[in-house]
Amino acid sequence: MAGEKLETVEIVKEKGESPNIKNLGDFWNFLKKELVPRGHIATPFNIISLPIMLLGYVFIVLRLAYGLGKPVTNLNQEYPWGLWIGFDVVTGVAFAGGAYVLCFIVYVLRAEKYHPIIRATVLNGFLAYLFYAGAIVLDIGRWWNIYNPMIGNNFGVNAVMFLVAWHFFLYMLAALVEFSPTIAEWLGMKRLRKILGAMTLGAVIFGITLSTLHQSGLGALMMMAKSKIHPLWYTDFIPILYFVSSIFAGLSLVIFEGSISHKVFGHQLDEAHHKHYDDILVGLARICAVTMFGYLFLKAILLVHEHAVPYLNSAMGFWYLFEVIGFILIPCLMFISGAQQKNTATIKFAAILTMVGIILNRLNYTFIVYNWYVPLSEKYWPAPMELIITASIILTEVWVFRWMVNRMPVLRKPPAWAIEKH
Amino acid sequence: MEELFTYYDMFATKGVEYLIILAFLIVILAFWKFVNMKPH
Amino acid sequence: MDRRNFLKILGSGVAGAATGNLLTPGRTLAKETPSAKEFYGILVDTTRCIGCRRCELGCAEVNGLPVPDISESKNENLLKTIRKTSDTQYTIINRYETEKGKIFVPKRCMHCNQPGCVAACLVKAMRKRPSGQVTWDLNCIGCRLCMISCPFDIPKFEYNKAIPRIQKCNLCYDRYNNGVLPACVEVCPTQALMFGSRKQILEEGKRRIAANPDKYIEHIYGEYEVGGTSHLYLSSVPFEQIGFRKDLGTVAYPKYSTGFLYAVPFIFVLWPIVMLGINRATKKSKEDEEHHEEKEKH
Ligand code: SF4
Ligand code: SF4
Repeated sequence: MAGEKLETVEIVKEKGESPNIKNLGDFWNFLKKELVPRGHIATPFNIISLPIMLLGYVFIVLRLAYGLGKPVTNLNQEYPWGLWIGFDVVTGVAFAGGAYVLCFIVYVLRAEKYHPIIRATVLNGFLAYLFYAGAIVLDIGRWWNIYNPMIGNNFGVNAVMFLVAWHFFLYMLAALVEFSPTIAEWLGMKRLRKILGAMTLGAVIFGITLSTLHQSGLGALMMMAKSKIHPLWYTDFIPILYFVSSIFAGLSLVIFEGSISHKVFGHQLDEAHHKHYDDILVGLARICAVTMFGYLFLKAILLVHEHAVPYLNSAMGFWYLFEVIGFILIPCLMFISGAQQKNTATIKFAAILTMVGIILNRLNYTFIVYNWYVPLSEKYWPAPMELIITASIILTEVWVFRWMVNRMPVLRKPPAWAIEKH
Repeated sequence: MEELFTYYDMFATKGVEYLIILAFLIVILAFWKFVNMKPH
Repeated sequence: MDRRNFLKILGSGVAGAATGNLLTPGRTLAKETPSAKEFYGILVDTTRCIGCRRCELGCAEVNGLPVPDISESKNENLLKTIRKTSDTQYTIINRYETEKGKIFVPKRCMHCNQPGCVAACLVKAMRKRPSGQVTWDLNCIGCRLCMISCPFDIPKFEYNKAIPRIQKCNLCYDRYNNGVLPACVEVCPTQALMFGSRKQILEEGKRRIAANPDKYIEHIYGEYEVGGTSHLYLSSVPFEQIGFRKDLGTVAYPKYSTGFLYAVPFIFVLWPIVMLGINRATKKSKEDEEHHEEKEKH
């Protein structure tokens, strides 16, 4: 199989062969072997990221010991939510949206073209939920109670947050099922691989439904902050805006992440894949462009619907236009031109702009235009420790992603015994 | 003076609705199998 | 917990309560009506408040909060700035310079009829009691959405504790259960605060306005604001001059999240159906499929 050619010297894994795991002891030995680092250890990325990660872990201990406020975060009574919810959770989940969009395209619409990138995207989505949404444990003041909405102490069925919590939890399970065939291939478990493969469509449909609801649910969390969010941003349709924007946010991350993975893990891919990849990027760029085009019009309609047009001519109005024109309209046009000229550099740049725009948008709702009437001097601004903990969580995710891609058939072809059908 | 206000919980029925959804998600699996059954 | 119990609790979550809450429509019709008649609250007459801060003291004492210094010299200094309630102060007095001179205004939780904080809470740690008090409980997970959802910025979080709580006025719920007046009402020397059922205090407010139309403006804050509150305020000047927001509207805050919450069950049913349909429609034709299957078997 093509699998033979894919491995380079760095990857020591037995070519095309799968481990023969019969009992727990075998599994344990295999895992121990796999946990050993491979390749160079002293790479620039490792040297920079490791200290940040360790520092972050120390600060996490501080947070648990001293509580949520100063010195670790700048959260206060005026701004209950800051960077951790606004960026790690709300933005992180929007970026993870690529997984459900691609699953829809590949498994529901059966667009085979995008199949080569589905595994990396689902893995990325799953890890994003695990780490970024997992970061919510840090942000939750009484974290030891976090399972309360799950065990019925009590079921707050009246709350949007209740749904979001359950959906996060269930979606992680669904994403795990979607990804699990890859794990089964890694472990060489053929029967399990078959069972899990049969569950994919169900998990995908369940996952898309959950994603629709919690992507919009994250927006619905802000519904009762009506008196606090600037009228240019507050509308009854925040949930729908969040849902639509999660589509192009997620795909932009897929483009961005893909372009990095292809540099770093490129040796795992064969020629055909590399050639195909530009085609995939162009396709994704088109989807992004169309969605953003629609999103722009939704924004325009809501501007009128909410009687918010007069606010445009104010400081807040300029900030709004900066966000909408600079980070929706312009990247939208760039996606279109990039797709037409098949220029992947333009597409990648547009993806980065879009991502910045999504970060801005989500942070706007959580703290920038939240309580917009508070004087600038009293506004929340992320504390250094908050930033470092966030960075350390992201880097940890990247490390885990790298570990999995290097060991499991995420980017490279699956073993011969497990060639997929759909 | 007439009482103008009566309290009602606007989310009182949500729990039952979520239980119905749970049932739906389980039943749809069997139902879909049934719909797509190949004639013998 | 076994599954039956689990379902039972989810079911009773519906009834608003694993603790036997009465606030459900079904029961409403059948038994007691926990309507505004049974909601208790406080009528705050700002024309009577003299700014002595004794209510702050009384509140701190019964709730185990740091006891404030309420000497006159201290008050003079403190009242220069407009303060907010905090994680160590459930109630505070503010002084406003208005067209009718200095006016003192107590500020605390409004005990809304349909509280945003209660609708926001995913574990029902915030609860509207059948007698009207909005209380906080220890099963809280500390997500702080109640703070975001309160139109009056009342719930406060203990940011500097490893084991933090949400802090807010609970209208002396324990004292109410023992048949005692709230501490602030009890200590007020000028009867600026009057405790009673919402119906009683609303009537009393209207009576005072009717008896003294020159003294009061014709508006009881909290009668309609955010769907009505159990704390009601009387004033001699328009409310925006004494620190009240007039832009909150009369819609009950939980209404704002109904758009999303009511749509959820529908999407949960429609999405799987639509997607199964699309997936079936894009399936390859029969010959293709057989071909495919053959390849499978090889
Ligand atoms: S004032 Fe705020 S904290 Fe008090 S009941 Fe209303 S929403 Fe809840
Ligand atoms: S902070 Fe506690 S009381 Fe407030 S909404 Fe969250 S869980 Fe409920």
